[in-house]
Amino acid sequence: MIEQYLPALSTYAGDIDGVITLIAVLTGFWYVLCNIVFFGFIFRYRAKSGASEYITGEEKELKRWVTIPHLLVLVCDLFIIYGAVRVWVDVKQTLPEQPYATVRVVGQQWAWSFVHPGADGKLDTADDIKTVDDLHIVKDKPYIYELVARDVLHNFSVPVFRLKQDAIPGRVIKGWFTATDTGVYDIQCAEICGIGHGVMGARIHITTEEQHAAWIAENTPANLATAPAAPPERKPLAATALAAR
Amino acid sequence: MAFQEKRTAPAAAFGSALGLVLVAQLLFAVAAVAQDGQAQDRDAEAASGAELFQLCAQCHGEDGGGNKLYLAPAIAGLDEWYVEMQLNEFRNGYRGLHFDDIGGMRMRPMAMTLRSETELKNVAAYVAQMPKTSPAKTLEGDVDNGKQLYVLCGACHGQQAEGMEAQKAPALTHLDDWYLVEQLMKFKLGIRGTRPGDPYGVLMGPNSPMALTLKTDQSVRDVVAYILTLRAADHAAAK
Ligand SMILES: [Cu+2]
Repeated sequence: MIEQYLPALSTYAGDIDGVITLIAVLTGFWYVLCNIVFFGFIFRYRAKSGASEYITGEEKELKRWVTIPHLLVLVCDLFIIYGAVRVWVDVKQTLPEQPYATVRVVGQQWAWSFVHPGADGKLDTADDIKTVDDLHIVKDKPYIYELVARDVLHNFSVPVFRLKQDAIPGRVIKGWFTATDTGVYDIQCAEICGIGHGVMGARIHITTEEQHAAWIAENTPANLATAPAAPPERKPLAATALAAR
Repeated sequence: MAFQEKRTAPAAAFGSALGLVLVAQLLFAVAAVAQDGQAQDRDAEAASGAELFQLCAQCHGEDGGGNKLYLAPAIAGLDEWYVEMQLNEFRNGYRGLHFDDIGGMRMRPMAMTLRSETELKNVAAYVAQMPKTSPAKTLEGDVDNGKQLYVLCGACHGQQAEGMEAQKAPALTHLDDWYLVEQLMKFKLGIRGTRPGDPYGVLMGPNSPMALTLKTDQSVRDVVAYILTLRAADHAAAK
Protein backbone atom coordinates (compact mmCIF):
# COMPACT_ATOMS: atom_id res chain seq x y z
CA MET A 1 0.00 0.00 0.00
CA ILE A 2 2.71 2.50 1.04
CA GLU A 3 5.00 1.49 -1.84
CA GLN A 4 2.43 2.94 -4.25
CA TYR A 5 3.40 6.37 -2.95
CA LEU A 6 7.09 5.77 -2.22
CA PRO A 7 9.12 2.95 -3.80
CA ALA A 8 10.25 0.27 -1.34
CA LEU A 9 13.84 -0.53 -2.33
CA SER A 10 15.47 -2.32 0.58
CA THR A 11 15.04 -5.92 1.66
CA TYR A 12 13.41 -4.77 4.89
CA ALA A 13 11.28 -1.93 3.50
CA GLY A 14 8.28 -4.28 3.16
CA ASP A 15 8.58 -5.39 6.80
CA ILE A 16 8.64 -1.79 8.01
CA ASP A 17 5.68 -0.89 5.81
CA GLY A 18 3.94 -3.92 7.29
CA VAL A 19 4.43 -2.63 10.85
CA ILE A 20 3.25 0.86 9.83
CA THR A 21 0.18 -0.62 8.17
CA LEU A 22 -0.55 -2.84 11.17
CA ILE A 23 -0.41 0.16 13.51
CA ALA A 24 -2.49 2.28 11.14
CA VAL A 25 -5.19 -0.40 10.83
CA LEU A 26 -5.40 -1.13 14.57
CA THR A 27 -5.39 2.50 15.68
CA GLY A 28 -7.64 3.41 12.75
CA PHE A 29 -10.17 0.79 13.82
CA TRP A 30 -10.29 2.23 17.36
CA TYR A 31 -10.40 5.78 16.06
CA VAL A 32 -13.44 5.09 13.91
CA LEU A 33 -15.16 3.03 16.63
CA CYS A 34 -14.59 5.74 19.29
CA ASN A 35 -16.03 8.41 17.03
CA ILE A 36 -19.10 6.31 16.28
CA VAL A 37 -19.63 5.79 20.04
CA PHE A 38 -19.04 9.46 20.91
CA PHE A 39 -21.31 10.80 18.20
CA GLY A 40 -23.85 8.12 19.14
CA PHE A 41 -23.81 9.40 22.73
CA ILE A 42 -24.12 12.99 21.59
CA PHE A 43 -27.19 12.06 19.63
CA ARG A 44 -28.70 9.80 22.25
CA TYR A 45 -28.25 12.27 25.11
CA ARG A 46 -29.14 15.36 23.12
CA ALA A 47 -31.10 18.14 24.89
CA LYS A 48 -34.61 17.10 25.81
CA SER A 49 -37.33 18.77 27.79
CA GLY A 50 -36.81 18.45 31.54
CA ALA A 51 -33.73 18.83 33.72
CA SER A 52 -30.42 17.21 32.75
CA GLU A 53 -28.54 14.91 35.08
CA TYR A 54 -24.84 14.97 35.91
CA ILE A 55 -23.21 11.56 35.58
CA THR A 56 -20.09 10.90 37.65
CA GLY A 57 -19.15 7.71 35.81
CA GLU A 58 -18.44 5.82 39.01
CA GLU A 59 -21.03 3.09 38.56
CA LYS A 60 -19.80 -0.33 37.44
CA GLU A 61 -21.85 -0.50 34.26
CA LEU A 62 -20.52 2.95 33.26
CA LYS A 63 -16.90 2.14 34.07
CA ARG A 64 -17.11 -0.80 31.67
CA TRP A 65 -17.12 1.69 28.82
CA VAL A 66 -13.54 2.49 29.80
CA THR A 67 -12.25 -0.84 31.14
CA ILE A 68 -13.27 -3.13 28.29
CA PRO A 69 -11.86 -1.00 25.44
CA HIS A 70 -8.73 -0.44 27.53
CA LEU A 71 -8.12 -4.19 27.79
CA LEU A 72 -8.88 -4.70 24.10
CA VAL A 73 -6.42 -1.95 23.17
CA LEU A 74 -3.78 -3.69 25.31
CA VAL A 75 -4.38 -6.89 23.33
CA CYS A 76 -3.83 -4.87 20.14
CA ASP A 77 -0.61 -3.54 21.68
CA LEU A 78 0.65 -7.11 22.03
CA PHE A 79 0.26 -7.61 18.27
CA ILE A 80 2.07 -4.31 17.59
CA ILE A 81 4.89 -5.11 20.00
CA TYR A 82 5.35 -8.56 18.51
CA GLY A 83 5.36 -7.21 14.96
CA ALA A 84 7.61 -4.26 15.76
CA VAL A 85 10.21 -6.11 17.84
CA ARG A 86 10.57 -8.81 15.20
CA VAL A 87 11.37 -6.15 12.57
CA TRP A 88 13.48 -4.08 14.98
CA VAL A 89 15.75 -7.03 15.76
CA ASP A 90 16.23 -7.72 12.06
CA VAL A 91 16.85 -4.11 11.00
CA LYS A 92 18.61 -2.61 14.02
CA GLN A 93 20.09 -5.44 16.09
CA THR A 94 21.47 -7.73 13.41
CA LEU A 95 24.32 -7.13 10.98
CA PRO A 96 24.92 -9.18 7.83
CA GLU A 97 27.63 -11.77 8.41
CA GLN A 98 29.06 -11.51 4.90
CA PRO A 99 28.74 -7.83 3.99
CA TYR A 100 29.69 -6.79 0.48
CA ALA A 101 31.30 -3.60 1.78
CA THR A 102 31.27 -1.08 4.60
CA VAL A 103 30.64 2.61 3.87
CA ARG A 104 31.10 5.45 6.30
CA VAL A 105 28.29 7.98 6.47
CA VAL A 106 29.22 11.33 8.02
CA GLY A 107 26.69 13.94 9.08
CA GLN A 108 27.66 17.56 9.57
CA GLN A 109 25.94 20.91 9.35
CA TRP A 110 24.51 20.81 6.64
CA ALA A 111 25.58 18.06 4.33
CA TRP A 112 26.11 14.33 4.23
CA SER A 113 29.57 13.15 3.30
CA PHE A 114 30.60 9.59 2.56
CA VAL A 115 33.70 7.41 2.58
CA HIS A 116 33.52 4.52 0.10
CA PRO A 117 36.08 1.72 0.03
CA GLY A 118 38.11 1.81 -3.17
CA ALA A 119 39.07 -1.12 -5.37
CA ASP A 120 40.55 -2.98 -2.37
CA GLY A 121 37.13 -3.10 -0.73
CA LYS A 122 38.50 -1.81 2.59
CA LEU A 123 37.86 1.41 4.43
CA ASP A 124 40.65 3.64 5.75
CA THR A 125 43.12 2.84 2.99
CA ALA A 126 44.69 5.21 0.46
CA ASP A 127 42.21 4.39 -2.30
CA ASP A 128 39.12 5.38 -0.29
CA ILE A 129 36.74 7.58 -2.24
CA LYS A 130 35.38 10.50 -0.25
CA THR A 131 32.35 12.37 -1.49
CA VAL A 132 29.92 15.01 -0.33
CA ASP A 133 26.21 14.70 -1.21
CA ASP A 134 26.53 11.42 -3.17
CA LEU A 135 26.57 7.86 -1.85
CA HIS A 136 27.30 5.11 -4.38
CA ILE A 137 26.30 1.52 -3.71
CA VAL A 138 25.62 -1.74 -5.55
CA LYS A 139 22.20 -3.32 -5.92
CA ASP A 140 21.39 -6.61 -4.16
CA LYS A 141 24.50 -6.50 -1.96
CA PRO A 142 24.38 -6.28 1.83
CA TYR A 143 26.13 -3.13 3.02
CA ILE A 144 27.15 -2.14 6.52
CA TYR A 145 27.19 1.56 7.22
CA GLU A 146 29.19 3.26 9.96
CA LEU A 147 27.33 6.40 10.93
CA VAL A 148 29.13 9.30 12.61
CA ALA A 149 28.38 12.97 13.25
CA ARG A 150 30.98 15.73 13.19
CA ASP A 151 29.10 18.37 15.17
CA VAL A 152 25.56 17.83 16.42
CA LEU A 153 22.81 15.19 16.22
CA HIS A 154 21.69 14.25 12.71
CA ASN A 155 19.60 11.39 11.38
CA PHE A 156 20.54 9.37 8.31
CA SER A 157 17.25 8.87 6.51
CA VAL A 158 16.82 7.01 3.22
CA PRO A 159 13.06 7.07 2.60
CA VAL A 160 13.06 4.41 -0.16
CA PHE A 161 14.89 2.04 2.21
CA ARG A 162 12.54 2.99 5.10
CA LEU A 163 15.81 3.57 6.96
CA LYS A 164 16.25 6.14 9.71
CA GLN A 165 19.13 6.15 12.15
CA ASP A 166 20.30 8.86 14.51
CA ALA A 167 23.90 10.01 14.15
CA ILE A 168 25.45 11.00 17.47
CA PRO A 169 28.72 12.93 17.87
CA GLY A 170 31.36 10.72 19.50
CA ARG A 171 29.69 7.47 18.59
CA VAL A 172 30.05 5.12 15.63
CA ILE A 173 26.67 3.55 14.95
CA LYS A 174 26.54 0.54 12.66
CA GLY A 175 23.62 -0.65 10.62
CA TRP A 176 22.90 -2.32 7.31
CA PHE A 177 20.86 -2.24 4.14
CA THR A 178 20.51 -4.22 0.93
CA ALA A 179 19.11 -2.31 -2.03
CA THR A 180 16.73 -4.21 -4.27
CA ASP A 181 16.76 -2.03 -7.38
CA THR A 182 18.89 0.53 -9.19
CA GLY A 183 18.28 4.27 -9.39
CA VAL A 184 19.02 7.59 -7.74
CA TYR A 185 17.07 8.45 -4.60
CA ASP A 186 16.95 10.98 -1.77
CA ILE A 187 18.89 10.95 1.45
CA GLN A 188 17.57 13.32 4.11
CA CYS A 189 18.40 14.48 7.59
CA ALA A 190 15.60 13.50 9.95
CA GLU A 191 16.85 15.09 13.17
CA ILE A 192 16.70 18.84 13.60
CA CYS A 193 20.32 20.00 13.46
CA GLY A 194 20.26 23.77 12.96
CA ILE A 195 19.01 26.31 10.50
CA GLY A 196 20.12 24.31 7.44
CA HIS A 197 18.45 21.07 8.56
CA GLY A 198 15.67 21.32 6.00
CA VAL A 199 18.09 21.66 3.08
CA MET A 200 20.49 18.95 4.26
CA GLY A 201 19.84 16.59 1.38
CA ALA A 202 21.98 14.08 -0.48
CA ARG A 203 21.51 11.33 -3.05
CA ILE A 204 22.02 7.59 -3.05
CA HIS A 205 23.10 6.08 -6.37
CA ILE A 206 22.23 2.40 -6.59
CA THR A 207 23.95 0.77 -9.54
CA THR A 208 24.97 -2.61 -10.91
CA GLU A 209 28.30 -4.10 -9.93
CA GLU A 210 29.85 -3.20 -13.33
CA GLN A 211 28.68 0.41 -13.12
CA HIS A 212 30.03 0.63 -9.60
CA ALA A 213 33.44 -0.72 -10.64
CA ALA A 214 33.56 1.90 -13.39
CA TRP A 215 32.67 4.61 -10.88
CA ILE A 216 35.45 3.43 -8.56
CA ALA A 217 38.00 3.42 -11.39
CA GLU A 218 36.96 6.94 -12.37
CA ASN A 219 37.06 8.38 -8.86
CA THR A 220 40.01 6.66 -7.19
CA PRO A 221 42.22 9.47 -5.84
CA ALA A 222 45.38 8.13 -7.52
CA ASN A 223 43.68 8.20 -10.93
CA LEU A 224 42.38 11.71 -10.33
CA ALA A 225 45.85 13.00 -9.48
CA THR A 226 47.21 11.94 -12.87
CA ALA A 227 44.39 13.65 -14.75
CA PRO A 228 45.48 16.88 -16.44
CA ALA A 229 44.30 19.70 -14.20
CA ALA A 230 46.85 22.42 -14.96
CA PRO A 231 45.05 25.73 -15.30
CA PRO A 232 45.90 27.94 -18.28
CA GLU A 233 45.66 31.12 -16.20
CA ARG A 234 48.31 30.12 -13.73
CA LYS A 235 51.44 30.83 -15.73
CA PRO A 236 50.79 34.46 -16.67
CA LEU A 237 49.71 35.13 -13.10
CA ALA A 238 52.89 33.65 -11.66
CA ALA A 239 54.85 35.78 -14.11
CA THR A 240 53.17 39.02 -13.05
CA ALA A 241 53.49 38.09 -9.41
CA LEU A 242 57.19 37.44 -9.71
CA ALA A 243 57.71 40.62 -11.73
CA ALA A 244 56.04 42.62 -8.97
CA ARG A 245 58.38 41.07 -6.50
CA MET B 1 -25.36 17.78 41.42
CA ALA B 2 -27.80 18.87 38.76
CA PHE B 3 -26.56 20.50 35.60
CA GLN B 4 -29.13 23.12 34.79
CA GLU B 5 -27.87 25.17 31.87
CA LYS B 6 -29.59 24.74 28.57
CA ARG B 7 -27.30 22.91 26.18
CA THR B 8 -26.90 23.69 22.51
CA ALA B 9 -28.39 21.24 20.10
CA PRO B 10 -26.04 18.34 19.27
CA ALA B 11 -26.84 18.78 15.60
CA ALA B 12 -25.26 22.24 15.77
CA ALA B 13 -22.12 20.77 17.39
CA PHE B 14 -21.88 18.13 14.71
CA GLY B 15 -22.49 20.74 12.03
CA SER B 16 -19.74 23.03 13.26
CA ALA B 17 -17.26 20.12 13.48
CA LEU B 18 -18.05 19.18 9.89
CA GLY B 19 -17.76 22.83 8.92
CA LEU B 20 -14.29 23.08 10.47
CA VAL B 21 -13.07 20.07 8.51
CA LEU B 22 -14.42 21.52 5.25
CA VAL B 23 -12.88 24.95 5.91
CA ALA B 24 -9.51 23.34 6.70
CA GLN B 25 -9.61 21.39 3.43
CA LEU B 26 -10.51 24.53 1.52
CA LEU B 27 -7.55 26.39 3.08
CA PHE B 28 -5.16 23.59 2.09
CA ALA B 29 -6.47 23.67 -1.46
CA VAL B 30 -6.06 27.45 -1.67
CA ALA B 31 -2.54 27.25 -0.26
CA ALA B 32 -1.61 24.56 -2.80
CA VAL B 33 -2.90 26.65 -5.71
CA ALA B 34 -1.08 29.75 -4.40
CA GLN B 35 2.17 27.76 -4.19
CA ASP B 36 1.79 26.56 -7.78
CA GLY B 37 1.42 30.12 -8.93
CA GLN B 38 4.54 31.11 -6.99
CA ALA B 39 6.61 28.43 -8.68
CA GLN B 40 5.60 29.69 -12.12
CA ASP B 41 6.72 33.29 -11.82
CA ARG B 42 9.48 33.14 -9.26
CA ASP B 43 11.44 35.83 -10.98
CA ALA B 44 8.59 38.30 -10.90
CA GLU B 45 8.28 37.64 -7.18
CA ALA B 46 11.96 37.45 -6.31
CA ALA B 47 12.58 38.38 -2.68
CA SER B 48 14.45 41.61 -2.00
CA GLY B 49 18.04 41.61 -0.78
CA ALA B 50 16.94 42.75 2.68
CA GLU B 51 14.43 39.89 2.91
CA LEU B 52 16.94 37.32 1.70
CA PHE B 53 19.60 38.60 4.09
CA GLN B 54 17.43 37.56 7.05
CA LEU B 55 18.62 34.00 6.43
CA CYS B 56 22.29 35.07 6.14
CA ALA B 57 21.94 37.07 9.35
CA GLN B 58 21.29 33.88 11.33
CA CYS B 59 25.00 33.04 11.14
CA HIS B 60 26.73 36.10 9.66
CA GLY B 61 24.96 38.47 12.06
CA GLU B 62 22.46 41.30 11.53
CA ASP B 63 25.35 43.65 10.66
CA GLY B 64 27.11 41.02 8.54
CA GLY B 65 30.00 41.11 11.00
CA GLY B 66 30.43 37.34 11.18
CA ASN B 67 30.52 34.81 14.00
CA LYS B 68 33.48 32.51 14.45
CA LEU B 69 31.44 30.08 16.52
CA TYR B 70 29.37 29.35 13.39
CA LEU B 71 32.43 29.51 11.10
CA ALA B 72 30.67 32.47 9.48
CA PRO B 73 33.04 35.25 8.36
CA ALA B 74 32.31 38.97 8.16
CA ILE B 75 30.70 39.68 4.78
CA ALA B 76 29.36 43.23 5.13
CA GLY B 77 30.66 45.51 2.38
CA LEU B 78 32.33 42.81 0.29
CA ASP B 79 32.44 43.69 -3.41
CA GLU B 80 29.20 42.84 -5.18
CA TRP B 81 30.93 40.90 -7.98
CA TYR B 82 32.77 38.83 -5.35
CA VAL B 83 29.63 37.93 -3.37
CA GLU B 84 27.87 36.94 -6.59
CA MET B 85 30.83 34.89 -7.71
CA GLN B 86 31.16 33.06 -4.40
CA LEU B 87 27.43 32.36 -4.15
CA ASN B 88 27.69 30.84 -7.61
CA GLU B 89 30.76 28.84 -6.58
CA PHE B 90 28.88 27.44 -3.60
CA ARG B 91 25.91 26.67 -5.81
CA ASN B 92 27.91 24.80 -8.45
CA GLY B 93 29.98 22.96 -5.86
CA TYR B 94 33.38 24.63 -6.35
CA ARG B 95 33.09 25.44 -2.67
CA GLY B 96 31.42 23.37 0.03
CA LEU B 97 31.65 20.04 -1.76
CA HIS B 98 34.97 18.82 -0.39
CA PHE B 99 34.96 16.17 2.33
CA ASP B 100 36.98 18.38 4.70
CA ASP B 101 35.37 21.75 3.93
CA ILE B 102 33.39 21.98 7.17
CA GLY B 103 32.55 25.68 6.88
CA GLY B 104 31.79 25.39 3.16
CA MET B 105 29.34 22.56 3.77
CA ARG B 106 27.36 24.92 5.99
CA MET B 107 27.26 27.62 3.33
CA ARG B 108 26.54 25.56 0.23
CA PRO B 109 22.95 24.54 1.10
CA MET B 110 22.25 28.15 2.10
CA ALA B 111 23.40 29.41 -1.30
CA MET B 112 21.18 26.72 -2.85
CA THR B 113 18.09 28.25 -1.23
CA LEU B 114 18.29 31.23 -3.60
CA ARG B 115 15.56 30.54 -6.13
CA SER B 116 16.75 32.58 -9.09
CA GLU B 117 19.57 34.62 -10.60
CA THR B 118 17.60 37.73 -9.61
CA GLU B 119 17.55 36.70 -5.96
CA LEU B 120 21.27 35.95 -6.06
CA LYS B 121 21.97 39.41 -7.46
CA ASN B 122 19.60 41.03 -4.97
CA VAL B 123 21.27 39.54 -1.92
CA ALA B 124 24.77 40.22 -3.29
CA ALA B 125 23.86 43.87 -3.85
CA TYR B 126 22.45 44.09 -0.35
CA VAL B 127 25.58 42.60 1.25
CA ALA B 128 27.79 44.91 -0.83
CA GLN B 129 26.04 48.08 0.34
CA MET B 130 26.23 47.14 4.04
CA PRO B 131 28.74 49.21 6.04
CA LYS B 132 31.98 47.28 6.46
CA THR B 133 32.66 45.89 9.93
CA SER B 134 36.07 45.54 11.55
CA PRO B 135 36.32 42.01 12.96
CA ALA B 136 38.57 41.86 16.01
CA LYS B 137 42.10 40.51 15.74
CA THR B 138 42.31 36.96 17.11
CA LEU B 139 45.77 35.83 15.92
CA GLU B 140 49.34 37.01 16.28
CA GLY B 141 51.82 37.19 13.44
CA ASP B 142 55.05 38.91 12.37
CA VAL B 143 53.80 41.94 10.45
CA ASP B 144 57.22 42.75 8.94
CA ASN B 145 57.67 39.25 7.59
CA GLY B 146 54.05 39.36 6.43
CA LYS B 147 54.74 42.55 4.51
CA GLN B 148 57.57 40.85 2.59
CA LEU B 149 55.36 37.88 1.78
CA TYR B 150 52.41 40.07 0.79
CA VAL B 151 54.24 41.60 -2.19
CA LEU B 152 53.26 38.53 -4.20
CA CYS B 153 49.61 38.65 -3.06
CA GLY B 154 49.48 42.34 -3.95
CA ALA B 155 49.99 41.50 -7.63
CA CYS B 156 46.37 40.38 -7.77
CA HIS B 157 44.75 41.58 -4.54
CA GLY B 158 46.30 45.05 -4.80
CA GLN B 159 49.13 46.46 -2.70
CA GLN B 160 46.51 47.82 -0.27
CA ALA B 161 44.53 44.53 -0.42
CA GLU B 162 41.73 46.52 -2.00
CA GLY B 163 40.97 43.73 -4.50
CA MET B 164 40.94 43.62 -8.30
CA GLU B 165 37.87 42.46 -10.13
CA ALA B 166 39.83 41.89 -13.35
CA GLN B 167 41.94 39.27 -11.51
CA LYS B 168 38.90 37.93 -9.62
CA ALA B 169 40.88 38.76 -6.49
CA PRO B 170 38.71 40.02 -3.62
CA ALA B 171 39.46 42.80 -1.14
CA LEU B 172 40.91 41.32 2.05
CA THR B 173 41.08 44.15 4.58
CA HIS B 174 37.74 43.61 6.32
CA LEU B 175 37.75 39.84 6.56
CA ASP B 176 38.37 38.03 9.85
CA ASP B 177 41.96 36.94 10.47
CA TRP B 178 40.81 33.43 11.43
CA TYR B 179 38.84 33.21 8.19
CA LEU B 180 41.80 34.31 6.07
CA VAL B 181 44.07 31.76 7.73
CA GLU B 182 41.45 29.04 7.33
CA GLN B 183 40.96 29.78 3.62
CA LEU B 184 44.70 29.96 2.91
CA MET B 185 45.13 26.59 4.62
CA LYS B 186 42.20 25.14 2.67
CA PHE B 187 43.76 26.34 -0.58
CA LYS B 188 47.14 24.93 0.37
CA LEU B 189 45.68 21.56 1.35
CA GLY B 190 43.54 21.37 -1.79
CA ILE B 191 40.27 21.57 0.16
CA ARG B 192 39.31 24.68 -1.80
CA GLY B 193 40.11 25.52 -5.41
CA THR B 194 40.66 21.96 -6.66
CA ARG B 195 37.25 21.03 -8.07
CA PRO B 196 37.47 20.11 -11.75
CA GLY B 197 36.30 23.06 -13.82
CA ASP B 198 36.83 25.71 -11.14
CA PRO B 199 38.62 28.42 -13.15
CA TYR B 200 39.52 30.84 -10.36
CA GLY B 201 39.98 28.76 -7.21
CA VAL B 202 42.93 27.09 -8.88
CA LEU B 203 44.78 30.45 -8.93
CA MET B 204 45.14 29.95 -5.17
CA GLY B 205 45.36 26.12 -5.18
CA PRO B 206 48.01 23.78 -3.77
CA ASN B 207 50.46 24.51 -6.62
CA SER B 208 49.78 28.24 -6.87
CA PRO B 209 52.35 30.98 -6.27
CA MET B 210 50.56 31.57 -2.97
CA ALA B 211 51.10 28.00 -1.76
CA LEU B 212 54.73 28.09 -2.91
CA THR B 213 55.33 31.37 -1.08
CA LEU B 214 53.47 30.70 2.17
CA LYS B 215 55.30 27.47 2.92
CA THR B 216 54.79 27.34 6.69
CA ASP B 217 51.79 27.86 8.94
CA GLN B 218 53.66 30.74 10.52
CA SER B 219 54.09 32.47 7.16
CA VAL B 220 50.30 32.22 6.67
CA ARG B 221 49.71 33.91 10.04
CA ASP B 222 52.34 36.57 9.28
CA VAL B 223 50.80 37.59 5.98
CA VAL B 224 47.34 37.70 7.54
CA ALA B 225 48.66 39.88 10.37
CA TYR B 226 50.01 42.27 7.73
CA ILE B 227 46.73 42.29 5.77
CA LEU B 228 44.91 43.40 8.93
CA THR B 229 47.21 46.43 9.20
CA LEU B 230 45.93 47.57 5.79
CA ARG B 231 42.47 48.11 7.24
CA ALA B 232 43.36 51.56 8.56
CA ALA B 233 44.54 52.63 5.10
CA ASP B 234 41.25 51.41 3.64
CA HIS B 235 39.33 53.54 6.16
CA ALA B 236 41.48 56.57 5.29
CA ALA B 237 40.86 56.02 1.57
CA ALA B 238 37.11 55.77 2.17
CA LYS B 239 37.05 59.26 3.76
CU1 LIG C 1 21.32 17.21 10.01
